[in-house]
This record gives sequence, C-alpha cells and structure tokens, in this order.
Amino acid sequence: MNPLRVALAVARKDLRSEWRTREMVPALAQFIILALLIGNFGFQIDARNAPSIAPGILWLALVFAGLVAFGRTFAAEREQASLEAMLMTPASPVAIFAGKALAATLLLVVCEVVLLPALTLFFGTPLSVEVVAAVLLATVGMAALGVLFAAIVARVRARELLLPLLTLPLWIPFIIAGGQAVQSAMGLPGNYQEAIGLLLDFDILFLVLTSLAARFVLDE
Amino acid sequence: MSRHERWAVAAVALMLVAGAAIFLYAPTDYLQGSVQRIFYLHVSSAIAAYGCFAVVLVGGIIYLRNESLVADRFARGGALVGLVFTTVTLVMGMMWAKPIWGSYWTWDPRLTSTLVLWIIYAGYLLVRRLADPGRQAARIAAVVGILGFIDVPVVHFSVTWWRSQHPGSIVENDALPPEMLATFLFTLACTLVLAAVMIAIRYRIETLTDERMHVAEPVKMIATREPEPVP
Repeated sequence: MNPLRVALAVARKDLRSEWRTREMVPALAQFIILALLIGNFGFQIDARNAPSIAPGILWLALVFAGLVAFGRTFAAEREQASLEAMLMTPASPVAIFAGKALAATLLLVVCEVVLLPALTLFFGTPLSVEVVAAVLLATVGMAALGVLFAAIVARVRARELLLPLLTLPLWIPFIIAGGQAVQSAMGLPGNYQEAIGLLLDFDILFLVLTSLAARFVLDE
Repeated sequence: MSRHERWAVAAVALMLVAGAAIFLYAPTDYLQGSVQRIFYLHVSSAIAAYGCFAVVLVGGIIYLRNESLVADRFARGGALVGLVFTTVTLVMGMMWAKPIWGSYWTWDPRLTSTLVLWIIYAGYLLVRRLADPGRQAARIAAVVGILGFIDVPVVHFSVTWWRSQHPGSIVENDALPPEMLATFLFTLACTLVLAAVMIAIRYRIETLTDERMHVAEPVKMIATREPEPVP
C-alpha cells in the first residue's frame, strides 16, 4: 500500500468526520475567543503595550487550544475501538500516524484562522505575512509532537492529565523560536530571519523523530 | 547486612568524606566566599543526573529493540535517581544564585533546560504510574525517555541563542586552582558512586515489584534451562 495514499485517506476521514459533526472547530474557536477575553482582563492593554503583550497571549491561546485539539484526535478512535481495526490493515502505522497528524495540523490551522484576525481586532497588532508564517511553521512541529503524545496517552488512564505534562516541555523550543519570531514581526527587537530558520530546523528534527517513534507507539 | 545495604553504607561514607573535603580541604573562594562551596556538589549532581538520564535513554533504546525487562528496570531506576539529582542541582543552584546573582531564578539557558529536564522526567515517572504496568507502560516510557533526552539539548541551544548569563565551563577552561579541582573531581567520583548504588537499589526494588505484579520476562522458558547431560 502506498503510504502517502494511506496518510491522505486517514486525514480525509478525520476531516470528513469533523465536517459532519462540526464539534471541534466551533468549540476551539470559542475557546480561543475566551482566552483573548481573559488576556484582555488580565493585562492593562493599550495601543502602546499591545505589541509586547499580544505575542504572549497568542502563544498561550494557541498552546492550550492545541492541547484541547490533540487530546481529542484519538477520542473517536477510542470510543469506536477503530484504531485497532486500522492497525490490523496492511497500512503502515507510520502512514496512519502521518494522516492523523495532518488532520490535526489542519484543525489547528483553522483555529489560527480565528485566532490571528481576532488578535488583530482586539489588540490592534499587525496581521502580517511574517506573523502568519511563524505561527504556521511552529504549528507543523507542534502538531507532530502533539499527535504522537496523544497516541501515547490514548490508552492510558488519566490521559487528560498526562497529555499537557508530556507535550508542553517538548513544545518549548517551538515557543522560544516562534515567540521570538512573532515578537520581532510585531515590532519588538529580535532577529526574525534567525528565528524562522530555527523554527524550520526544529520542524525537520521533530518530524523525523516523531515518525521514527510513531512505529513503537502505534504498533501494539 | 545485605549486599545492597553494604553498598549504601559505603556510598554514604564516601559522600561524608567528600563533604569533609569540601569544607575542610578546599580553599575559600576569594570573590564568592564560602558560597562557592556549593559548586562542588551542584556540578557533580548535575553530571550524575545526566548520567542517570543516559541510563534511561540507553535502557529505552534497548527495550524498544528487544523488550528486555532488565533494560526497562534500569531505565525506571535511572529516571527516579536522575530526578533526585536534578532536584539537588536546582535547589543548590538557587541557593548559590540568591547571594551571587541577587535572585533565586533567572531564565538562563542552563536553568531553563534543567527545569525542562526535571519536568520531562517527572512526566516520565507519572507515565509509569498511570499506564498499565507491563509492556504498555514500558514502551510508552521508552519513547518519552528518548524524546526527552533529545529535547534537553534543543531547549538548551534555543535559550542560548536567546540569552545567557550562567557561568561557563570553568573546569574545562583550567580556571580552577589544583586544590579546588581535586576536591571537585573527588566529589564527582563520590556522587557518581552514590548514583550508581542508588540505581542498583532501585533496580532491586523494581525487580521485586515486577515479581509481585507477575510481569514475566518475555523470553522462552525452555531456552534458559541447561541441556541435560547425556550419559
């Protein structure tokens, strides 16, 4: 079986199921708007300090929305016990993992479509190509790690507890480089080019590592 | 006294000798005063912690290759002992930082990556507690241990690229007077012995726990039996 076609089929299945139920995206969008609301009341934001506060709120909202989204990636499979069925097919576990990761990435990108304009609307920060590029690059690696750990905790008790504990430390490199990139894109000091280069390096590193690890996580 | 108890007594005795060397033999630092004495155990336990986490890494890799329970028990022991030494490193570092830097904590690369190290292996132990004991827990933990070990240099590098104020490697730069270097190397050796003894004790505990939980070695029982001599 062609692994690429398997991955695309799994991703298509996840996205179609989301399109039919419309559960995750509205919930995540609402979650993000609420996070911005809390940011607004937690900080005294005005036109002057918005660029120094908005990047922090962006990453906080994105990271926690991501945790909620990835916590749900294997929920349907678990409830229907369909993951075992998928793994019994001759399709390679790595291709199935890639498909789930692809669908989860797209779901997170949809969240960002809500988050970035809302940030601009509420905090008056620029919505530039640079900001979008940094956020999208961070999303790729974060999604790969997030789905790997979602697969790891899917069969563990207290998975809601464990997912953030395992995922957040591994997301820190992305938040350091992504945070720097967004800050400099919003007019704070910092080297945008270097930060983007670092994000690309981390993406490649963690995509390779997660696909190597996926075999051991799913192959049961 | 059992074998493990004798080892434990010897390791504690060695640590007491190291303590005596730190306070009685090593000279007082000209700039920092007695606070500098924290350095010996602080750096030694950091190195011991890295050694323990290397045990977790190697144990995880071996477990994923051939499901060896021995490797997994060593990984379990290494994670717990490493976490203890990381805690010692962090707490002693903060005690040193308050008088020297003026604050317990700064977001320096070493501090940040050590904190991340602590969080990752605390998560590793939580995975072991929450997953069903046996094959599942061991596989999951092996993946966490391997990814966690790789994450630490990455975090360290990204924060270094960001900003740094931690004192550099003074041992490599040959900046230590000979008495201090001797004290440091002796403390390091004693700490490594202590870590090894602690892992050995943990290994014994994990073996007994596995026996109680009836986690059997997945190798064939027949293969371990000696062939009967033919008369």
